Amino acid sequence: MVERGATLDYQSEAYRDAYSRINAIVIEGEQEAAENYVHIAELLADHREELLSLAKMESRHKKGFEACGRNLQVTPDLPFAKQFFAKLRANFQKAFAVGDVVTCLLIQALIIEAFAISAYNIYIPVADPFARKITEGVVKDEYLHLNFGQRWLKEHFAEVKDRLKEANRENLPLVWQMLNEVEEDAAQLGMEKAALVEDFLIAYGDALAEIGFTTREVMQLTAMGLAA
Amino acid sequence: MFGLIGHLTSLEHAQALAYELGYLEYAERDLDFWCMAPPQTLDEIKVRSLTGQVIEGRYIESCFVPEMLSQNRFKAATRKVINAMAHAQKQGIDITALGGFTSIIFENFNLEQIRDVRNVSLDFKRFTTGNTHTAYIITRQMELVAPEMGIDLEHACILVCGATGDIGSAVCRWLAYHFPKADLLLVARNHQRLQEFQQELGTGRILSLTEALPLADVVVWVASMPKGMDIDPTQLKHPCLMIDGGYPKNLRTKIQHPQVRVLQGGMVEHALDIDWKVISSLVDMNVLERQMYACFAEAMILEFEGWHTNFSWGRNQITLEKMAQIGAASVKHGFRPLLR
Repeated sequence: MVERGATLDYQSEAYRDAYSRINAIVIEGEQEAAENYVHIAELLADHREELLSLAKMESRHKKGFEACGRNLQVTPDLPFAKQFFAKLRANFQKAFAVGDVVTCLLIQALIIEAFAISAYNIYIPVADPFARKITEGVVKDEYLHLNFGQRWLKEHFAEVKDRLKEANRENLPLVWQMLNEVEEDAAQLGMEKAALVEDFLIAYGDALAEIGFTTREVMQLTAMGLAA
Repeated sequence: MFGLIGHLTSLEHAQALAYELGYLEYAERDLDFWCMAPPQTLDEIKVRSLTGQVIEGRYIESCFVPEMLSQNRFKAATRKVINAMAHAQKQGIDITALGGFTSIIFENFNLEQIRDVRNVSLDFKRFTTGNTHTAYIITRQMELVAPEMGIDLEHACILVCGATGDIGSAVCRWLAYHFPKADLLLVARNHQRLQEFQQELGTGRILSLTEALPLADVVVWVASMPKGMDIDPTQLKHPCLMIDGGYPKNLRTKIQHPQVRVLQGGMVEHALDIDWKVISSLVDMNVLERQMYACFAEAMILEFEGWHTNFSWGRNQITLEKMAQIGAASVKHGFRPLLR
């Protein structure tokens, strides 16, 4: 984090090859986020407008990241990205189908948002100047999304606590698998896995603590499946 | 509110403590895991001064372990420090001490250039290295114990190992002012910096450690190394007072000789009522009840006095006036140099 990507060659074949997958993940992630917020808006009618505006924001982010890919003349590998999110997406769809808003919020507003924020934070210092500017703008918005899920879950903490623990057990291990899958590509972009995990644990842990979990619970919840 | 950012003495110690506290997810993990672990607020602390004033604080475990330095995991080490600082600031803590290696890492890796950590812009005024109080305590330990051993500081040979560091340079300045006739030996790794410091100080002899050790009546050890140091006590002058103010403080276990007395440098005893549930002696196996690092005590003193500012910051900034100022407040609130 001290050196600022001084040795990265953004035009090299190896960089652009790795970027085609990472960029696709980011684009697909923003696309799914937009869809997920539309779904959550159906479950939380009282917050419909706020959620739909979040969905719109995610779509804007997606466009920004598409521009980042074009700027480096990279074609994003979208089939790879769809596969990358498949399990998490399936879990979200399953929860949505039975009206399980707690799990939906945990997956989208906590896990995916924390994952995105940590990835963007680690990416910014090593990004090309064009992408850096765009990503910095996105990060500011992302903190807002995390806040929506936090607020709602905090207000309903007593009744959702057990479900959150369960949903965490079902979904957090998927995040570690996903991180392992892109470890090499991320390294090619100057992003270290340990830094990504640490940032994720901070963002996700902060959200869980804000919702109402104790330090001990946060440590247990966030480490779930990490060493497996 | 005050904060203390600390770390554990080794990976093994970290694992043992995690086990003891019931954090099994952390207990059996290797260094790779600790390199990813985020900072945690492990304790809420209440302290009552001799004056009756009560303050509150928090202990933040940085999850740094010294193996990160000895195994070249420098990025992880710097992340631990920066993230712990952001963690403290996010909680609204007014003044936080950077304990043990954390202030050294901050200094050596120029972490001052990193201001923005996620959505936190670090305000360095809220942090202190605690080095002024540590330097003050070391000088008090020297003043109080040397005469007991028949060492006259006025004419003694005093070696400062780590003389160009923040604490070492402060101790040298204090010695040069109060004991101008003492034979001051200056040892440090960076020779050029040492020569510049000698010029600034206007006194002292530059020697290598092996040359200097057999000459010294008093050794002030304020160099910090991830692995510690081996010294043969038979090569030392007898009697010899060693003040182990470096990190880790393990000279005492390594040097056992009837004519050599090793003090845990920069440690205080306190007459305060401190309510800390999990931390106290757990954090450092060498630290007993009612003992504490002087750097931690500095954060408490600053909170007691309402001096919410980075009292100790940067390298070579400690003045004799500031040492006297923090010293007077230290006594007022019930801290004493550890003399055992």
